[in-house]
Amino acid sequence: MTAPFLRNAAAIVGVGASPQGKLPGSTAESLAVDAFVAALADSGLDKNDIDGLLTFPGTTAPEGALNYLRLGETLGIDPAYTGSMSMGGGTAGALVQLAAMAVATGLATNVACVFGDAAKTGGSRFSRASGWGDSWGLYGMAGAAANSAIAASRHMAVYGTKSEHLAEVAVACRRHASLNPAAVMRTPITIDDHQNSRPIVEPLRLLDCCLITDGGVCVIVSSAERARDAKQPPVLIAGMGQAYTTRNLEREDWWYVPHQKDALDRAWAMAGLGPEDVQVAQLYDNFSISVLLWLEHAGFCKPGESGPFVEGGRIQLGGELPVNTAGGNLSESYMEGWLHVVEGVRQIRGQCGERQVADAEVCLVTGRGMTLNCSNALVLTRGDR
Amino acid sequence: MTDYVKPLPEIGEVNRRFWEATREGRLELQRCTDCGHLRFPINDICPECLSRAHTWQPLSGDGEVFSYVVFHQVYNKAFVDDVPYNVALIQLDEGPRMFSNIVGTPNEQVSVGDRVRVVFDPVTDTVTLPRFELVKR
Repeated sequence: MTAPFLRNAAAIVGVGASPQGKLPGSTAESLAVDAFVAALADSGLDKNDIDGLLTFPGTTAPEGALNYLRLGETLGIDPAYTGSMSMGGGTAGALVQLAAMAVATGLATNVACVFGDAAKTGGSRFSRASGWGDSWGLYGMAGAAANSAIAASRHMAVYGTKSEHLAEVAVACRRHASLNPAAVMRTPITIDDHQNSRPIVEPLRLLDCCLITDGGVCVIVSSAERARDAKQPPVLIAGMGQAYTTRNLEREDWWYVPHQKDALDRAWAMAGLGPEDVQVAQLYDNFSISVLLWLEHAGFCKPGESGPFVEGGRIQLGGELPVNTAGGNLSESYMEGWLHVVEGVRQIRGQCGERQVADAEVCLVTGRGMTLNCSNALVLTRGDR
Repeated sequence: MTDYVKPLPEIGEVNRRFWEATREGRLELQRCTDCGHLRFPINDICPECLSRAHTWQPLSGDGEVFSYVVFHQVYNKAFVDDVPYNVALIQLDEGPRMFSNIVGTPNEQVSVGDRVRVVFDPVTDTVTLPRFELVKR
């Protein structure tokens, strides 16, 4: 049997980010530009080498879905391939996969995936009603935390998961952020700190929630062949997968985000790898419960067993499966999962300093967005020179 | 009742029957007359078979708490005087699930799995919201 067409076809050759945090005077565009310049320098490519431009407008780009036009003009790029996509936290992975398909099929050679958002200074509250139409907002079901709280509440009732298990995720992310000079929240926290933080949407507390930050991130995708001779050690996209459910209340298991497992199964199958091959994982964490669900869907533990799985620092550096080694959305910066891709690349390259996982050769990166609707997974591996 | 500032449904052709029914004290949802699927949210078309043909079926109003959360954060200023308030995902006995609120019981005494029954809360002259109360066993 021949290997899947896209296995190891594309590679990530450049990553970069703007400063993160509260950055008065910044705009979605200025942050995207800063990230693009940083990623270009990281890749060693010239601006004129970039012939693909894929963008996520975020919450504060006034041009919205026309973001690719504005950013292209600003960067002075007439691309062979371009477009914008909005899937919230599902966008980063979806765009990187689109870029991989573009370079694998010859539509483009070097594709920059770019995101900038001045969510903090722009006052984004992520507060809209959680779903479409009348069936949600009438009853006060609003804001980004609400759906994750529904998932956490049901997970606790069905499987006996405890708030202290969610705390383990928050503590791990913060400890990792403390080792990341670029992270926004670096003061370590304890389980007790989590338990004493104020409730937001019970059962979720403040320290279960991601940050709201300004920042930009850029990821440059090329063919695996070109990556062999690139400036940075090659990081291959060995496997990728996506899955979605748009049916929300029509699906009894909507709260469990079952499509995440479909996305992961597709990525594992393409890569020819599985959870046992992974040394480090960057799992999308808009809220702490999300990491527990990813651990189950990825097969690191059985359904319902993620709570006990994360006890005792198992997902911290030094543990069996270090997760979100840069601090994640919870503590590094809320770049809607874009920095998860960046950290995955840096771990495979061995560039993470104090937070480097020894012999990291396979890293799982996941993303999820909207009303628990959009999910994707990337399996990154170290390529040969 | 005219000072109600929280979100209200946009009543139109597709959902008018639902809001007429709640005003009269009935919970009714659409059942596809082609494939038999009982659907929610309310929509013009059956998400299973894409038929537009349907009837409105009166439901028992009985169900259970499928998931349950308590809001402390104010995401919509209209709810500022309500926090902490609850939102429950209700599993109706006939199959569909809907969001609503549990009334008549303190927030901390509601659990996933509790049996509930619909009650009707007229919030304006034209809109009556279906909410749910715990059924004592």
